[in-house]
Amino acid sequence: MGRKADLKKVVILGSGPIVIGQACEFDYSGTQACKALMQEGLEVVLINSNPATIMTDKEIATRVYIEPLKLPYVEKILRQEKPDALIPTLGGQTALNLALELDSSGILKELNIELLGATPAVIRAAEDREQFRSILDAVGAAYPKSCMVRTFERGMQVAQELGFPLILRPNYTLGGGGGGVAFSLEEYQVKIAQALHESPTSEVLVEESMLGWQEFELEVMRDKSGTFVVICSIENFDPCGVHTGDSITVAPQQTLSDAAYQAMRDEARKIVEAVGVQTGGANIQFAVDPETGVRKVIEMNPRVSRSSALASKATGFPIAKIAALLAIGYDLQEIRNDITGTTPCCYEPALDYIVTKIPRFAFEKFSGTKDYLTTQMRSVGEVMAVGRTFKESLQKALLAMEESDLGAFPVTLDEKKLAFPNSKRIYHVFQAFREGMTVDAVNKITQINPWFLEHIEELMHFEKRLEKEKLNVGLLWRAKKLGFSDAAIARLGGQTSADVRKTRWQNKIHPAYLQVDTCAGEFKSETPYFYSSYFSPPQAGKFPPEIVALLGSGPNRIGQGVEFDYSCVRSVRQFQKCGHPVAMINSNPETVSTDYDTADVLFFEPLSFEHVLEILNYVRPVGFVGQLGGQTPISLMHRLVAEGYKLLGSSLEAIDLAEDRGLFIKICQELKFRIPLSGMATTLQDAEAIAERIGYPIICRPSYVLGGRRMEIVESTEELKVYFTRHGSFISANSPCLMDQFLDRALEVDVDLVRGPDWTVIGGVVEHIEAAGVHSGDSMGVLPPQRLKPEICRKIEKLSQRLADRLGILGFLNLQLAVRDDEIFMLEANPRSSRSVPFIAKATGIPVVDLGVKGMLGLKAAEVRPEQYVWQNATGVSVKGVVFPFKKFPDSDSILGPEMKSTGETMGRGSDYAEALLKAVVASDLQLPTSGEVFLSLREKDKEELFSLIQSLSAMGFTLSATAGTASYLHQRHVECEVLKKVHEGRPHCVDRIRSGQVAFVINTTSGRTSIEASFGIRRSCVDFSIPCITESDAAQAFVLALQKRKQGEFGVNPL
Amino acid sequence: MISDKGFLVLESGEVFSGLWQGDERALERAGEVVFNTSHSGYEEMASDPSYFSQILVLTAPQQGNYAARDEFRESRALWIEGMVCVEMQNSGRDKAWREHLLQQQIPILTDVDTRQLVIRLRDQGTTWGALVRQPFTETARTRAHELIDAKKTKDLDWAHAVSLREPQTISGDNPTGPRLAALDFGCKANSIRELKIRSREIRIFPSRATSAEIRKYNPDGIFLSNGPGDPKDVQQAVETVRELLGWRFMFGICMGHQILGRALGGETYKLGFGHRGSNHPIKDSLLNKIYMTSQNHGYAIRQETLPRSAVVTHINLNDGTVAGIYDRENKVMGVQFHPESHPGPHEAAQLFDFFVGKTQ
Repeated sequence: MGRKADLKKVVILGSGPIVIGQACEFDYSGTQACKALMQEGLEVVLINSNPATIMTDKEIATRVYIEPLKLPYVEKILRQEKPDALIPTLGGQTALNLALELDSSGILKELNIELLGATPAVIRAAEDREQFRSILDAVGAAYPKSCMVRTFERGMQVAQELGFPLILRPNYTLGGGGGGVAFSLEEYQVKIAQALHESPTSEVLVEESMLGWQEFELEVMRDKSGTFVVICSIENFDPCGVHTGDSITVAPQQTLSDAAYQAMRDEARKIVEAVGVQTGGANIQFAVDPETGVRKVIEMNPRVSRSSALASKATGFPIAKIAALLAIGYDLQEIRNDITGTTPCCYEPALDYIVTKIPRFAFEKFSGTKDYLTTQMRSVGEVMAVGRTFKESLQKALLAMEESDLGAFPVTLDEKKLAFPNSKRIYHVFQAFREGMTVDAVNKITQINPWFLEHIEELMHFEKRLEKEKLNVGLLWRAKKLGFSDAAIARLGGQTSADVRKTRWQNKIHPAYLQVDTCAGEFKSETPYFYSSYFSPPQAGKFPPEIVALLGSGPNRIGQGVEFDYSCVRSVRQFQKCGHPVAMINSNPETVSTDYDTADVLFFEPLSFEHVLEILNYVRPVGFVGQLGGQTPISLMHRLVAEGYKLLGSSLEAIDLAEDRGLFIKICQELKFRIPLSGMATTLQDAEAIAERIGYPIICRPSYVLGGRRMEIVESTEELKVYFTRHGSFISANSPCLMDQFLDRALEVDVDLVRGPDWTVIGGVVEHIEAAGVHSGDSMGVLPPQRLKPEICRKIEKLSQRLADRLGILGFLNLQLAVRDDEIFMLEANPRSSRSVPFIAKATGIPVVDLGVKGMLGLKAAEVRPEQYVWQNATGVSVKGVVFPFKKFPDSDSILGPEMKSTGETMGRGSDYAEALLKAVVASDLQLPTSGEVFLSLREKDKEELFSLIQSLSAMGFTLSATAGTASYLHQRHVECEVLKKVHEGRPHCVDRIRSGQVAFVINTTSGRTSIEASFGIRRSCVDFSIPCITESDAAQAFVLALQKRKQGEFGVNPL
Repeated sequence: MISDKGFLVLESGEVFSGLWQGDERALERAGEVVFNTSHSGYEEMASDPSYFSQILVLTAPQQGNYAARDEFRESRALWIEGMVCVEMQNSGRDKAWREHLLQQQIPILTDVDTRQLVIRLRDQGTTWGALVRQPFTETARTRAHELIDAKKTKDLDWAHAVSLREPQTISGDNPTGPRLAALDFGCKANSIRELKIRSREIRIFPSRATSAEIRKYNPDGIFLSNGPGDPKDVQQAVETVRELLGWRFMFGICMGHQILGRALGGETYKLGFGHRGSNHPIKDSLLNKIYMTSQNHGYAIRQETLPRSAVVTHINLNDGTVAGIYDRENKVMGVQFHPESHPGPHEAAQLFDFFVGKTQ
């Protein structure tokens, strides 16, 4: 047996930019697979358009192509590489769909490339719902009654047959995109139209609702000899109706009897076989009626999925790695289990702990969208926690959410928040029991299985004891076993967390660190993968004295995502090279950093002060690293240093100088940097006075924000008042409102540099494509800068260096600057690795993270030889593209502003700006129309600026339409243009036009709250119908440049 | 909550503390301490006669999650001497599993550091122990040793202790199927269910039945059941089976398999800590596949002591131990694991078809 003999070169497809439903779990799976296949001595070619990932690091594969995951590009790469095989099962739905396209195009046959892991027939059998249902019939599995709908009319008939509520599932979309639950005819009509549009094949499965049923998932694997194993069973806390990615889940399943579980397992095996999965991982979802035990199959994915990442972390079984090895021909029994080192991989993990996953949401960033959870996934990240009991595990998971050090903090009970699933429901479930509701009552309202509710009830009963009784050792031990944080115990007992910690330490109450070993202790294992629990007595840790502790970035959220995991993971090797083993601390199951073989030791733990401190006490590191995990570690640094731990790299003082706005302004003044005029207001009155001084437009934001939350551009006193009404609760004497002069039309740049004691390396300067005002995470960027004058660029580099010297940075510094009329303004400094670091590293080839580590460790110039790293030496042009989740948030506005909203990024690499731009745009999944109508609605100041662009659109053969103002401007200049009504001018108006599908793309620039609100419908209709809608004039220029390049049709593909 | 301090004391004197559930209803008891890594199936395990005289440690921390149901019972009684876990659901809804144990006066110890305990059992082997409800470790030790000593001096033929006393005849569901004899060493109900659907009649004989009694029934095939304890301590059975070798096809499971091995002249030995769980990979060269099995045994057949005619057909992939044999000359097959599952995966149930096929 063993691996296929004729296999030399394999292509792995990644999953592209991070979007909701397809996030960094595929970075994890792809990276793991690449590593495994490289170890096998294969030539591995990786294709992915996402620069923020570990897998697109040059060292991960033999050759890495950062190119769009689109047919023409991949085809070209395949022709260039001529691989023996391609593995499409590790890059999510994107890779599977692409594999189908490659198959249909004939290229695979032509080049004789074998698809490994899943054949087109298998992909279709699992993904095509009708085909899948006939397979289910054949194996005797039940499924919800449903009908495939291809037209609106048929949709109406089906609704009558099945009755409400109904579930809509469009074919071939990821994360249930375009799907949802309809409770009424009215709601259904809207949703079915949209769902039909959303499906690439215009097919929607309309399904009877299983609301209130229990939901389960099995993560299974099969090898070519037919050996079948269940790696992990997962039970959803939330009953059916909530997308499994949005549900709180528990592993292994808890409430099924062995008989019911084994019947489910048998069915899963039959389905996997009938679908024809030859090798690899698959995931099958079931619904079970809690009353009758009747079981129905919801869906199946014949590939590694989001749940596989969770299952891998929950069990310690490396699903993606094994899937890759199975794909190249091994059998499960031939692969050794890394964890035990003695037994084969052919077994089912046994868990002696409970794992809880809680999703993290970002509804607050998409005002307009109601916070309800449905079958369409909306969460942007997740945490996982491990405990010996469900209670310990759940409470740890709540702490890992980084929302409050209380975990399940008290809320004002709202029965609606119990009845309708939403992102805060868990807190209301706790509150319901806190206020004495019974398990029966809560079960009736929520339909959450009583088994879960009983545990939460027990926790809340215990809270009462903590309130009433004096804290003694017994009670404290019990509280810790139940997962209560020191802060929660302190709140209930009227103490401070420090008091509780002191009592705890005096009585030697510490957690034990238990091993995740895949076998519940049955076999000896050396895997350094740990979680904390109070169910075992604490023991002293034994670690090498040079070890450093690395704080990860916790759950993904908008503004803090995979980019930070990149820095964390990348740094590990460098620390090791410098003689420091690494203890990784993180709570995010989707990441590479939480893979057990990334660092020397892994602590899968909440990034709360209490948990991190206990780990540091256990590990006794020479220092901890806080510059790599985004804002999360920054917020813990002060307290950890106060406990006597050494912060590696930049000192706390240096961090504060950059982080504290007041101090930072002083430094800038001292260095004679221009900064936007600014002030700090605690009341509206203050604010008005400050506005008087600095003049509108002004950027307002509460202090200490990440990703620009609640940050807005305010253009008048009127708007300032509205701002204070809306965000007043976040503004106080402790957290004043920061007000900065807004540099209208300025060019923005990001600089990432690393500094050592006697050296600095500029990693690169990224020029934003959009003008100042769009959050740096949302704007496209280009390296090297295209518009910035070389002498200004040099000046910027000098300024950056001076600032780094003054702050005393050791390690990373990210700067945001703006340039207007050749004047440079310093906007912001982040004393840490940043979102742009991976992009810069890949664009310039400079090992920015490695250098940052050397800087943190204080290596001297003589060792580092910084002069060899010159970012200007990079060949070609790299453009960063962005992707947004607006589609998943109905009624949210897609206009870009100072609050970050994007979930992921792409990278386009080309020999010139246009080529790089085109690739970045294509990779971001923007449709590039070649003909049709362009609708224009421009604000006054953009009209002239965009005139030549409009002319070139005409020349390219596009027809034009516009709102009255824009149209008359064009008419005056003899440009043909149809006039469309604005929404308030009566029908048919421009939005009707867009919704009817007559518009190819839209350029809509506005400013000011009122006109932004008035043009909302334009942008929203574009989002709903996947029509490009450009909301900024510089972005419009770039988009048209990409269109022109597209017309020329030539492009190259090159590995890093 | 009715709970109190309690201890699991091992014969070596090592003490694991926990919470004693259920006040005075449960008795202090001694038994062999074994662990099982299955995620579910507590009721099937507790009612499996193979756990006779054993204190069952469950590595899955939460037990009693889905209450109790008669159809999950694998025999007429609960045989374990105690259940040890991290947490036992104590719920008012349904009929709680906890209550079933307490009604039978079976002790439950929760909040135990089962991980440490399992590692102890893994590294130093299965041992005797006792569950006691005592305030102090010293009194706990004294009391535990009394219990252990008393328990150890009892009759060691555990199969006999749990076996039927009188033969019992059951009609099968398949009128064209064989007539089967089953030797009961502590048979799980699901073995009988699996045989019932494939046969026209089954007569279940007590563990000490003689070959003459079985010959008299004149079955088409003979089934040797699972059962508790050391096969060396089972009286009469090895002799009975030896006398039947080559006469009718025999199929042994677990204890039945070990008895077969001994009847063939092979030796059995005690494993360090046994195999107990639902995730044990078996390489089956009879059916030519690899599958997960349910296991519950502390002894195994020593491969090199088997006669030439006996082929090792099943191997436990975790440790390479003998998991199944087939002997064409002597017309026997045996498997060390549990094709009848309950709890555990069902893939090996095909072996019952294989057996029935050999009887016709």
